[in-house]
Amino acid sequence: MHIPDGYLGPQTYAVLDVAMIPIWAVAASRVKKTLKAKQVPLMALGAAFSFVIMMFNVPVIGGSTGHAVGATLIAIILGPWAACISVSIALVIQALLFGDGGITAIGANVFNMAFVMPFVGYYLFRLIAGDSPTTRRTIVASGIAAYVSIVAGSIFAGVEFGLQPLLAHTAAGRPLYAPYPLSVAVPTMAVEHLLFFGWVEALATVGIVSALVKQDSEMLAMRPAAKPLRWLWAAFGILVLLTPIGVLAPGTAWGEWGAAELGARLGFVPAGLGDLGSAWTAAVPGYAPAFIKSPTLGYLFAAVLGSALVIGVSWAVAKLLARGENSRPPKDARPPTSPTTPS
Amino acid sequence: MPALAHIAEPRRTTRRRSLARRTADAVGHAVTEVLDNDEIASRPGLMQKLDARVKLATILLFAVAASFAHSLWVLLGFVALASGLAAASRLSVVSFSRKVWASAGFFALLLSLPAATAWITPGEVLVAFGPLSITKPGLYIAVRLVARVAAGAGIGLLVVWTTRWTDLLHALTALHVPDLVVATLAMTQKQIVTLLRTVENTHLARESRMLTAGSAAENRGWVTERMAFVARKSMKTADDVYDAMLARGYAGAMPSLVRLRTTTRDWAWLVASTLTCAALLGADKVVFSR
Repeated sequence: MHIPDGYLGPQTYAVLDVAMIPIWAVAASRVKKTLKAKQVPLMALGAAFSFVIMMFNVPVIGGSTGHAVGATLIAIILGPWAACISVSIALVIQALLFGDGGITAIGANVFNMAFVMPFVGYYLFRLIAGDSPTTRRTIVASGIAAYVSIVAGSIFAGVEFGLQPLLAHTAAGRPLYAPYPLSVAVPTMAVEHLLFFGWVEALATVGIVSALVKQDSEMLAMRPAAKPLRWLWAAFGILVLLTPIGVLAPGTAWGEWGAAELGARLGFVPAGLGDLGSAWTAAVPGYAPAFIKSPTLGYLFAAVLGSALVIGVSWAVAKLLARGENSRPPKDARPPTSPTTPS
Repeated sequence: MPALAHIAEPRRTTRRRSLARRTADAVGHAVTEVLDNDEIASRPGLMQKLDARVKLATILLFAVAASFAHSLWVLLGFVALASGLAAASRLSVVSFSRKVWASAGFFALLLSLPAATAWITPGEVLVAFGPLSITKPGLYIAVRLVARVAAGAGIGLLVVWTTRWTDLLHALTALHVPDLVVATLAMTQKQIVTLLRTVENTHLARESRMLTAGSAAENRGWVTERMAFVARKSMKTADDVYDAMLARGYAGAMPSLVRLRTTTRDWAWLVASTLTCAALLGADKVVFSR
């Protein structure tokens, strides 16, 4: 996900470079308050760990390996603001010391991997793990948070690439920087992270959190005390209320055409698609319930219903996990292992 | 000792390297790169002699100017400029070109190839492969992206290969980057080398004990456990480092004894760089508007 120089035009990299300045300022101020004088060595070691974790090859499937970014893990250990600084420093060192990632694109790389990833990962982890998480819930929450956070970071990178043909092109419409439009760049980045890199990130994070839970659970309680997530619910409610904006967008999303629309585009409907397309009829097709005439109210109803279902299913799964954890007999205490003796 | 001679011989085998060996090699390479970069940056050459602040500012100027150029020829001009500066700084032009073209350029080529096809960029067909035919405007877009990425990589490599890490940190301090950031950057680089050595040794120890490659699940379990070990070691080392800082009188600030001074050569370099960028962008405007 390291963007080199040349893929992003000045309109994009300058905005992201400038956008990171207040984020870094707030992060530095928060870290100063929470970590006090110990901040420099802790940040430095956090950054060094963030750098080194990217060097580990994690085996996935079929002999293939990949490397994790570790932003969610560091956010779980140190908190999101400290993770923002640590991962930023690791990325700056990669650019200035190893030439990995561009100089002008530092803001974009930091935005995707040191801002989006730790914050998405951290708050999702807290949302799933809850205030007094069990071991299993902590591990499951860390895996889901790591997976979603890297996919979120990749989508942001895809949007940055996909905006280039719109922002900078010749008089004939030919792109001057990254050449692929949003309809190609975003799905490409998202799919490769959904299918491969997301699993690498999740497997690495779950493995490390599981080992830390067994060997040094205090490390998972190092981050500064967090405030309740009421604001997150308020922000979520506002987003639900804003969903009718989607009604303003004309047409169907790229690649999500129904049989009729595909037939109009291609001149024929593939036989398999024609057969399977009508095999299942959704309860609320097209986010427009039949009993609500207004498209805006229909969209709003679909958003509330969908969100309630997702929250309900997540809550039920969390309850089941917690029950399973509480019913297990406690394990024998393990002798503490020294962190200075590699095996 | 002829009986032991085979031990020193590099193992010649067509067998695929194990995961532990591959990671140990990559990590060892990264450590060597950190140490080599400092050695290369200490050589007497044009850019090594410059004040680090001026050099950082002018390299940033080159990078921004290259990002504003749209003509293929002007972008190639920026690549040539970076290569010329590398030669004047006594860097190996072969290594420099290999890094710029075979690494950054090659990946850019792979990424941009689909854009050269009629599927993404319709236009006059140069080589016909059905929907994957290479078109003239598509090829130009792909080649221009490769040249742009190579220009950026070449300019970036000049910072990496001509500036010692300590000089870079002094330059950042002089450019009013907060002390917290500079101190953290300084400490991070040292800790990276320490942690990389630990990772390399752990993987070599694993390699030496393994008779078979092991399953993916076994390897994954071992790798993530080692990652957790590095995480614990990092946090424990942070405590030790902090204690050492306190013992040396650390009170929140990290003063530097180095005073950077600009000379006539630095000012001449600044003017020459600015004029070169202006000339290249002027040429770009003329060539691109045709």
